[in-house]
Amino acid sequence: MTALLPALFVGLVFGWILQKSRLTQYSTIVNVFRFTDMSVLKFMLTTIVVGAGGIYLLKDLGLVTLTGTTPTYIVGNLIGGLIFGVGMAWAGF
Amino acid sequence: MRTFVNWLKTPQWSPYVGGTLLGLLSILALLFTDRLLGASGAFENIGGSILQLITPALADNMYWNFIMPAGFSFGVMMLLGVFLGALVSALLSGTFKWRTISDDQWVQIFGPSRWKRWAALFFGAILLEYGAGIAGGCTSGLAISGGVQLAPAAFLFMAGMFVGGIPTAMILYRKRF
Repeated sequence: MTALLPALFVGLVFGWILQKSRLTQYSTIVNVFRFTDMSVLKFMLTTIVVGAGGIYLLKDLGLVTLTGTTPTYIVGNLIGGLIFGVGMAWAGF
Repeated sequence: MRTFVNWLKTPQWSPYVGGTLLGLLSILALLFTDRLLGASGAFENIGGSILQLITPALADNMYWNFIMPAGFSFGVMMLLGVFLGALVSALLSGTFKWRTISDDQWVQIFGPSRWKRWAALFFGAILLEYGAGIAGGCTSGLAISGGVQLAPAAFLFMAGMFVGGIPTAMILYRKRF
């Protein structure tokens, strides 16, 4: 169980950031699809820019190895995303 | 120090601040745990465990033995952390409230019916989890964790997400879109 303590810690910070960025709110999630509040997109793309910059720097320094990422499967990724988007706009998660 | 504590207690951060912090968290998570963020996978681990309890034969397949192993995984622990982290954050900023409908905007558009909201949550969540299963992850496990590693799947998923989400919001909101 102690091996999972880092997971708990990462989760705590993750949850904290999501709550502070209002990403736990129905309105924030659904309004990105109505183009009235682009917080979700600003948040996600900022994360990717900062995260990718740091991760690729550490990778080139030989400090980290990438996790086996989800394989590119154009139809699956797109259709899965499409179904996911319907649920996201409906439930507001 | 005092300003830092006050900042931790402010009810809302800019999405750019939140995004920067989550990017840094992703880097640290990969550096120290060799893992990245995820959420939807944990529900599949829990679902598999429940299925094992009820009908072990049905859970004894490729999916729950290898692809999404049942049990108390890294992701389940992280999900527990997400819940607690968000709870403490809301409590400290004084925005915590017990509600049967979580958002004022929902009430304005769809009325105060509790069952309508809960049905939307239930069926919307089924679609979310099913879509995430097909795509290979959710907004955190695929779009963010894949995105920070520049995986093409993450960007395809995000495109699909908007292609699905925008018309759904149009249909649900009609003239108020």
